[in-house]
Amino acid sequence: MEDTVLNPTSSPQSNNRRAVRFDDSQIIIGLEVHVQLDTDSKLFCGCSTRFGEAANSQTCVVCTGMPGALPVINERALELSIRAGLSLNCQIARSTKWDRKNYFYPDLPKGYQISQFDQPICGPGHLDIEPSEPTGQARRIRIERAHLEEDAGKSIHDESGRRQDSKIDLNRTGTPLLEIVTQPDIRTAAEAKAFLSELKLILNYIDVSDCNMQQGNLRCDANVNLHIPFGDEQIATPIVEIKNLNSFRAVERSITHEAQRQFEAWQENGLTIADAPKQTRGWNDHTQTTTLQREKEDSADYRYFPDPDLIAVKIEDSQIQQIESQLEQLPADLRKLLAEQYNLKSADASVIVSQGRGVVDYFLEVADGCEDSKIANNWIGQEVLRQLNESNQTIQQYPVSPQQFTDLLKLVIAGTLDQTRGKEVLNAMVAHCISPEEAIKQLGIKPVDNSELVTLCEKLIDENQDVVEQIQSGNGKAIGMLIGKARKMNPNANPGLVKAMLAKMIST
Amino acid sequence: MPETPEQPTVNQVAKLARIHLDEQQLTSSGEKLKQILEFVSQLEQVELPKDIEPFFGAIESVNAIREDNLQTSVPREKILDNAPESDGEFYLVPPVFRNTDS
Repeated sequence: MEDTVLNPTSSPQSNNRRAVRFDDSQIIIGLEVHVQLDTDSKLFCGCSTRFGEAANSQTCVVCTGMPGALPVINERALELSIRAGLSLNCQIARSTKWDRKNYFYPDLPKGYQISQFDQPICGPGHLDIEPSEPTGQARRIRIERAHLEEDAGKSIHDESGRRQDSKIDLNRTGTPLLEIVTQPDIRTAAEAKAFLSELKLILNYIDVSDCNMQQGNLRCDANVNLHIPFGDEQIATPIVEIKNLNSFRAVERSITHEAQRQFEAWQENGLTIADAPKQTRGWNDHTQTTTLQREKEDSADYRYFPDPDLIAVKIEDSQIQQIESQLEQLPADLRKLLAEQYNLKSADASVIVSQGRGVVDYFLEVADGCEDSKIANNWIGQEVLRQLNESNQTIQQYPVSPQQFTDLLKLVIAGTLDQTRGKEVLNAMVAHCISPEEAIKQLGIKPVDNSELVTLCEKLIDENQDVVEQIQSGNGKAIGMLIGKARKMNPNANPGLVKAMLAKMIST
Repeated sequence: MPETPEQPTVNQVAKLARIHLDEQQLTSSGEKLKQILEFVSQLEQVELPKDIEPFFGAIESVNAIREDNLQTSVPREKILDNAPESDGEFYLVPPVFRNTDS
């Protein structure tokens, strides 16, 4: 530290620091993720958790902290927490209790938040994330704990610069949150994003949370610092907690930015983790930078103590077993199923699984029905997902049932419909909510018999002698022009059959 | 016996509680805190069996739990009546400014 005081930029020490390359340092990342649990009512009272209702229309004496009001724990919040914990391989506490975390802020009406300090409902666990490259290895990120707590209200600050009052809406106060804390096992910004994507997918699959980030139902703070090799030592920079991360992109960009900022700060001032307390910095999406918010208050400053209004919760083995027995397959299990039993490439399996349980079920029904998982994957992975995306629909709203889709693919597999006509049929099925048979009738698709095909090909050759000459002189690709013309003359002519017949006629 | 808390500790407790104390009050509060600590520390004289589980409340029962059912919230006019200031929709509080120096 001494050289910062004397002459920060040109001491021998700082010159040595400037010789270190950023690429040789290692980023160390731990995440704290707040997930809103999908309950109807709040954590300790019967007020609704619905988003977007009129301000202060969903509060009562309990969630506004009136003297004498008694909080009572919501059974479903406990169940969802256990379900999330089991899915993250966490130990589930047999006894858990509630603590008050004391701090003052206008959107915290009681002056404390009910949280869990030393007996969280979920203990250590882990989550494996997919390798970022096909050749890479899966990475195991350890979960330190997951605890239940109530959310605070929402503050709306005056941004006009005229120092108007801040407005407080307490509808969100008391909404159940599960705070999931990882060990500092994450090593890159991309890995942080991959962890969050997988976590979000799991919580969606097990119906614990919709994780809607626009509505703030999944919020993330990232603890970041750098390990820098310096001479014989390994330097650790001061830890920074980045707040306000409301999108996966913000998580990725803020970590990348913060790592670079810490490296430059260390080159400048040489401060290490031993010299500076943990800082809180906020991510600003507009400037793409982090700015200092406050020096982190020590844990003791929150003066945690057991909440005397609440009693402990005992969780029986039988309760945990019952929740476990109802858990359905997780995304990782389904990726494995699709890769091993349906022979999909791992990237294709990931795409299907990432769309949610509904698309997986749709795929399984169609693949089993048409008995060709590759074709089912090609059509669902491309056509269906594109159509859902364009119409902003979920698979449950998709007008083509798995049975109808299976019937369509059977016609394609049998060669009754070629790819192009098959897609026309699918579009008609989607547009008019009709079966493949009805769509085929509506489009006037009829089988073309062999003599019709012969007549068609003869006519093509007669009328396009220049193209035929090109083909005969070795330009094989020119045959595509004839196939295009054939489709215009008779849309029902199968391009594969036309091509084969033309090739045979021209070569003889 | 607990010692009288040092002045920085009293200062810190006052700061966290958002209470302003002058010099004289700081000194007298230190004395009062000492008395409270002494009173509570009497509990340490009770001899307990070594293997006893910690106990967090005055009631031995566990699992007071409610089902996830909605109940009618308090009408907004009524709940906002408790606010020192409101605009009929929101609670109004003095402007909250964030540190923006980096």
